[in-house]
Amino acid sequence: MSSTLTPPDAQEVARRTQARDEDAALGRRARRARIVHYLGMPLFLLAVLLALYLWVQGQELDSIEARTITLGTLLSQTRQHITLTLYSTVVVLLLAVPLGIFATRPGTRRFAPAIIGLGNAGQAIPSLGLLALLYYLFRTQPALPSTGTFPVVVGLVAYSFLPILRNTMVGLEQVDRFVLEAGKGMGMSQRRVLRRIELPLAVPVILAGVRTALVLNVGTAALAFLFGGGGLGQTIFSGFQLRRNVVLVTGAVLVAVLALLVDYLAGLIEEKLTPKGL
Amino acid sequence: MSDVTNSDTTSHLGEAAEPGETMIELQELTKRFPGQEAPAVDRLSLKIPKGEIVVFVGPSGCGKTTSLKMINRIIEPSSGHIIIDNEDVTTIDPNQLRRRIGYVIQQIGLFPHMRIGDNVATVPNLLGWDKERTRERVDELLDVVGLDPRTYRERFPRELSGGQRQRVGVARALAADPPVLLMDEPFGAIDPITRNRLQNEFLRLQGELQKTIAFVTHDIDEAIKMGDRIAILQEGAKLAQFATPEEILTNPANEFVQDFVGTGATLKRLKLTRVREVELTDDALTGREDEDRETLRRRLAESDWTAMLLLDREERPIRWLRTPDLRQQQRPLTEAGLPARAIVEPQATLSDALEEMLLGSAGVAIVTDGRGRFQGLLDVDDIILAIQTMRDTEAEFYRAAKLSDPDDEVSA
Ligand SMILES: Nc1ncnc2c1ncn2[C@@H]1O[C@H](COP(=O)(O)OP(=O)(O)OP(=O)(O)O)[C@@H](O)[C@H]1O
Ligand SMILES: [Mg+2]
Repeated sequence: MSSTLTPPDAQEVARRTQARDEDAALGRRARRARIVHYLGMPLFLLAVLLALYLWVQGQELDSIEARTITLGTLLSQTRQHITLTLYSTVVVLLLAVPLGIFATRPGTRRFAPAIIGLGNAGQAIPSLGLLALLYYLFRTQPALPSTGTFPVVVGLVAYSFLPILRNTMVGLEQVDRFVLEAGKGMGMSQRRVLRRIELPLAVPVILAGVRTALVLNVGTAALAFLFGGGGLGQTIFSGFQLRRNVVLVTGAVLVAVLALLVDYLAGLIEEKLTPKGL
Repeated sequence: MSDVTNSDTTSHLGEAAEPGETMIELQELTKRFPGQEAPAVDRLSLKIPKGEIVVFVGPSGCGKTTSLKMINRIIEPSSGHIIIDNEDVTTIDPNQLRRRIGYVIQQIGLFPHMRIGDNVATVPNLLGWDKERTRERVDELLDVVGLDPRTYRERFPRELSGGQRQRVGVARALAADPPVLLMDEPFGAIDPITRNRLQNEFLRLQGELQKTIAFVTHDIDEAIKMGDRIAILQEGAKLAQFATPEEILTNPANEFVQDFVGTGATLKRLKLTRVREVELTDDALTGREDEDRETLRRRLAESDWTAMLLLDREERPIRWLRTPDLRQQQRPLTEAGLPARAIVEPQATLSDALEEMLLGSAGVAIVTDGRGRFQGLLDVDDIILAIQTMRDTEAEFYRAAKLSDPDDEVSA
């Protein structure tokens, strides 16, 4: 009699146990994948830095090299580099996202081509040329500071404007129109639809643009020193000018490491801010 | 008294029942899209009675969706008026208007970044309900549409099947208990079996809720099934006929309607009659699984029946048993004889029942209530009788249908 009763129960227990085991196995695998995902890049970058350090240590440095590659100089240049990158990216965000929203609203959509044209112009001009142009412009306008951070940030902003603008527009426009219709149909105001539906759904695409802009800016900021903006470009250029390969390589590797690190961190933020259901 | 009988008969025959209080009225509603010569909707006038489902049906591009979307002004009318509950809403704040109207579309449009619970809570949140009330309402509604709140409330839309999403869409539309619902092909993108189930569930729900519903479909069968009244629309949302399904099947107003309804009108009418409307054989011989084999056998032998229906402890039908099945002792009763097949609920249509019988190769359908408890039997003869009745009352129409489609002869 009990045998007619037990099988389903036993089966159920077996099924649950198995499911639990599978969950656990999946969990273990997922955890391992996550560890690789999160720690892989930082460990790699640390290894690169360590290799660079050991390599430089192994070289016979002459006095010029020894003077150029000091920890203090490199750190201060890195700080300048990061500051330039962050400033310009924040400014681009503050400009390009609202403009992207503006260019996709029904009433103001007709301005979209003009706005995109602006972004295109900023990016189409080679970055060095753009910076030189701005430098010249700032020099001839006595009211504006001609050296230091300011002109460089303006140049970086112009150069990285397009990715964030374009991604904001694409991100907003790829939102399913029936999702918007449902929101509207339930009586959400246009502002609320934008805030609660369109922007959250556009976040991943906008952030991808931000990531691109950040990496672009790390690269372009290497030119900043030409206009008195400092940054790691100085070390690279010194190495070049003085024909000191150790210096050149050190500067170049540091910029590359910085770009990868920024990309990695931006990726983490992107992941964190992407709405869960997507 | 004879009056009452009379009106009863006519309503059965398909004369439009006297409409009650009007909930939605469209007056000369017109929409011209910029750059198009002919209006998409041309002076549509229509009254939707309170508590009824009015189905807009017609060929693709005839203006059904446009007409529907003008009611909540997702599309602003070019001219004409919309009156809801005696209030002209043509120029009021559209957002206020839409919070009073439930809206369900084929594409559903759930917010993918919000959990199911938050999706359903959309309108309550807009109306500023407090958290507790919203939460209770969300759980209640998920329950109503057949989704366990504990399982589904915290999920995201992508973690649901198409049918489940559509249920959430309906729950979301009902959240603030709006008196009016607009539904644009709500079951259009779902497989036929799920669609049928959702239709039935929705009809049962509507039986309780009594909402006023404008429902768009391009499927005449769905229109017949769902509609208290059907508006058949032609190009430009011209009203070809506005009547009850019976009336439309019996008396198509013109050739367009006749073509649109298509052939097989008699079979379609089987979809209009529900199992609960015909008399069931309720003196069927039943036994319970906990009864003694011998008692059952004697009962069967003493009756006129050749088989008895075995019910489980909850009175749910499980097996058909004949005398030899009851004699032999080896097998447990629950495995003897034949499985009970072709089980239908009272709100199923005769067409559903017939289909179940054909699928189950059974000459009889077993009718059970919502909990699966046995209620009675429906014989294939009962269905033929029902067809016969239709035929007698509409002999002429039937002949016309028969002439126009030789296939019908086989099925009739
Ligand atoms: N936004 C729009 N802009 C311009 N024309 C439109 C628009 N929406 C619909 N139309 C036109 O209006 C007419 C009616 O369209 P509507 O969507 O109401 O048709 P429908 O009856 O719902 O068709 P279907 O069964 O294919 O959904 C069509 O000719 C269509 O091309
Ligand atoms: Mg349509």
